[in-house]
Amino acid sequence: MASPVLAVRELRKTFTLHTIDGRRVSSLHGVDLDVHAGEHVALAGASGAGKSSLLRCVYRTYLADSGSVRMTTSGEPIELTGLPDRAMARLRGREIGYVSQFLAAPPRTGPLETVAATARRRGLDREQARDAAAAALHRLNVDESLWDVDCGVLSGGERQRVNLAAGTVRPPRLLLLDEPVSALDPENREAALSLVDSLVEQNVAVLAVFHDAEVMRRLATRVVLLADGTVSRDGAPADVLGEAA
Amino acid sequence: MTVTTTDASAIRALLADVDEARGVRQEILDEGAKREVRRAVLSAVCVPGYQVPFGSREMPVARGWGSGGLQVTLGVIGPADTVKVIDQGDDAGVNATNLRRMIGGTTDCAETTDTRDATVIQSRHRIPEEALGERHIMVYQVPVPEPLRGVEKSVVECGRMHAEADYSKMWVSLYEDIVRNGLITASSGYPVEVDGRYVMATSPVPRWDVPRLHQAEHLNLYGAGREKRIYAIPPHTDVHPLTFADVPFEVEYAPDSYCKLCGSDDVFLVEGGPNGGYVCSDTEWCTRVREGDADIVAHRKRAPLGQLPDPRRRLVGTEVEEEVHGTVERTADTPEWALRVSEVGKVHGSGGAAAVPGTGPESGSAVSPSTGAIVAAWDVDFDVAPGEALGLIGESGSGKSTVLSCVVGDVPATSGTVRLGAVDAGRTDVLALPDEQRRKLRIDSMAVVYQDPAAGLNLDITAGGNIAERLTAAGWRGYHRIRRRAAELLDRVEVPLSRMDDPVRTFSGGMRQRVQIAKALATEPAVLLLDEPTTGLDASVAAGVIDLLRGLLAERDIAAVVVSHDFAVIEALTDRTLVMQLGRVVERGLTDQLFHDPHHPYTQRLVAAARR
Repeated sequence: MASPVLAVRELRKTFTLHTIDGRRVSSLHGVDLDVHAGEHVALAGASGAGKSSLLRCVYRTYLADSGSVRMTTSGEPIELTGLPDRAMARLRGREIGYVSQFLAAPPRTGPLETVAATARRRGLDREQARDAAAAALHRLNVDESLWDVDCGVLSGGERQRVNLAAGTVRPPRLLLLDEPVSALDPENREAALSLVDSLVEQNVAVLAVFHDAEVMRRLATRVVLLADGTVSRDGAPADVLGEAA
Repeated sequence: MTVTTTDASAIRALLADVDEARGVRQEILDEGAKREVRRAVLSAVCVPGYQVPFGSREMPVARGWGSGGLQVTLGVIGPADTVKVIDQGDDAGVNATNLRRMIGGTTDCAETTDTRDATVIQSRHRIPEEALGERHIMVYQVPVPEPLRGVEKSVVECGRMHAEADYSKMWVSLYEDIVRNGLITASSGYPVEVDGRYVMATSPVPRWDVPRLHQAEHLNLYGAGREKRIYAIPPHTDVHPLTFADVPFEVEYAPDSYCKLCGSDDVFLVEGGPNGGYVCSDTEWCTRVREGDADIVAHRKRAPLGQLPDPRRRLVGTEVEEEVHGTVERTADTPEWALRVSEVGKVHGSGGAAAVPGTGPESGSAVSPSTGAIVAAWDVDFDVAPGEALGLIGESGSGKSTVLSCVVGDVPATSGTVRLGAVDAGRTDVLALPDEQRRKLRIDSMAVVYQDPAAGLNLDITAGGNIAERLTAAGWRGYHRIRRRAAELLDRVEVPLSRMDDPVRTFSGGMRQRVQIAKALATEPAVLLLDEPTTGLDASVAAGVIDLLRGLLAERDIAAVVVSHDFAVIEALTDRTLVMQLGRVVERGLTDQLFHDPHHPYTQRLVAAARR
């Protein structure tokens, strides 16, 4: 079997809060996890179990204390935890997408520009990037009259769809999703979910957090249950979720 | 005690008797002074256009009234010479006559008003219309010898500009003249480049006479008594007026004008009194033309008739191609970074590196306990790659701007090295280069945008002129090409083109900052340093400038360093960031990581403070 796109081993993360007398808040205590190309791995678990922290440690928004996060792109696996910042920034632009529940668009830019900028970073030229961005926004029913409006004035649901469009345009090798449909109405939610579902066919490795077990059953090829910062179960959705439900 | 007139003349008569008895004639300059003048003249001839200092003496004329010219004349003249003196164009004026008599009366030379007989011609205005040959020495009385005086007040800075042939400010003044007036209006003192090296003012002659200096047969000596300078244009020397490649040099000329006395239309004319019309400025020539004693055919060939003003040639001009990029050959051994800063430190005060122990975040102070010196920055390391933006964040006094100043060269670093990928493939430490070379790096390799636009711009010249300064410094000589490039840049930074020819002083703070950014990008440098680029601006204007910078960085392969105390600015512009406290780098990482997962106590405090 091909090596996994993402291999997490013994990952640990603790926060030291110097502003509160150096209090230590523990988050991950040794997480092991693989995500292969074309696989959709859903992270399940209670609030505070470390789901978002794990995504952020992979994306390097958090610096892990110890353990390893390896990503395989085209050649040898790359150790992300020790990767120089510059190389990590480049890898993010081209190979890793991260969609949080809050839009991370630069201030005072419109949806089309935001999505097209991401597409350009992933290797499309200016023209292609615009077309791809337009297609992505259409697919998520973002009204064309909003495409050049400052993202900051959009509604929560609109912002979330722009964010998802940016994350999935010209899909990267590894996509990290953190509650990407939490603010959507049923109709738009359906469009978003079918988009995410289609990524697996495009051979994207997806690591996602959805709070809704139904969504996990529908999209995930595998579910990893986190509890107190470690993996407590890892298996087929029916097995893991059936038991959790 | 007062001396009455009678007493004074009696004393003078007595002294004259004594001198006559001893066979000594009254001299204005003693032999020692003359020798010094001649030494200065020899130096001046050896380095054409270079202003040689000399010990200017008190003369029996006021300084600024020809004392310099008089000293040169007295220094070079001898018994075999014949002197002619021109005041305005006139041999017969009171000043000219008095000077001629004084020179004749205190040396053994002959006096004349006929250029053909003269060997030394002292002038405070013109070169005679008559042909000059190798037997002639022109001596000019110079009121203002420094061609850069109008564009640079500091004498020291003028000296540096000459030494480094850094004449971009001169070019900007010509640019501004064309912008304001449609043509170059500088009349007397038009700047010329002598022998391909020094820029020299041709004061006191009008533009009309400037072409006569190029490859002249005669020697030209310039004396400035008040400013104590002597300089020269030797025979057969190239003298080119400073002009843009596509805007021709022009001499003064009134259409259809001619001398109402002699009828000449190929001479320098002056207004002819209350009844209108014009007359020859050179009265000797005018008289001889009327008397039929002048070779007017040969004169016509000498006259600068090919350089009469012609609005059709002006501002239309031929296109000159210029390089926008300081082309950098990227080879296999070119490093991946464009700028690399290693172990840079700055200590204000004594002790150097020895003052460092006991300072920094651990000690809670930047003041050295051993020497009392301020350790503003120490051991700062980073590199930036093309297409990447690096942030330097920290509160006031953390040393972030000091680091930038050391990199640019505004402040000499106490320790460390700075390398540029474009300079010698990064092998050379630019901190060790001579000032002149470092300054040149700032023209095409590395640009700075300061917090205060006044630090990066000359507020008294136009927006276009400020950009022209950078372009002319990089060697651009096409007026139209410069205009177009400046317009392109201003358009890109969203300064209305209708304001291109307004002095920057009339601009708002945000617009000034945009002009400064345009100037910084004029030569497409590989490295751009931004020092608190939005700090002086109010929130909405600052937002516009940040958006602009973000766009500019995204569309260029430039390596940027952004210094700011504001996390919002750093977050909007950079991928990676260094956090500085008390002169040290305390934390570094991806910008979003520093914001979401800061490790150092100081960074956590900064982030907490930034959350609103």
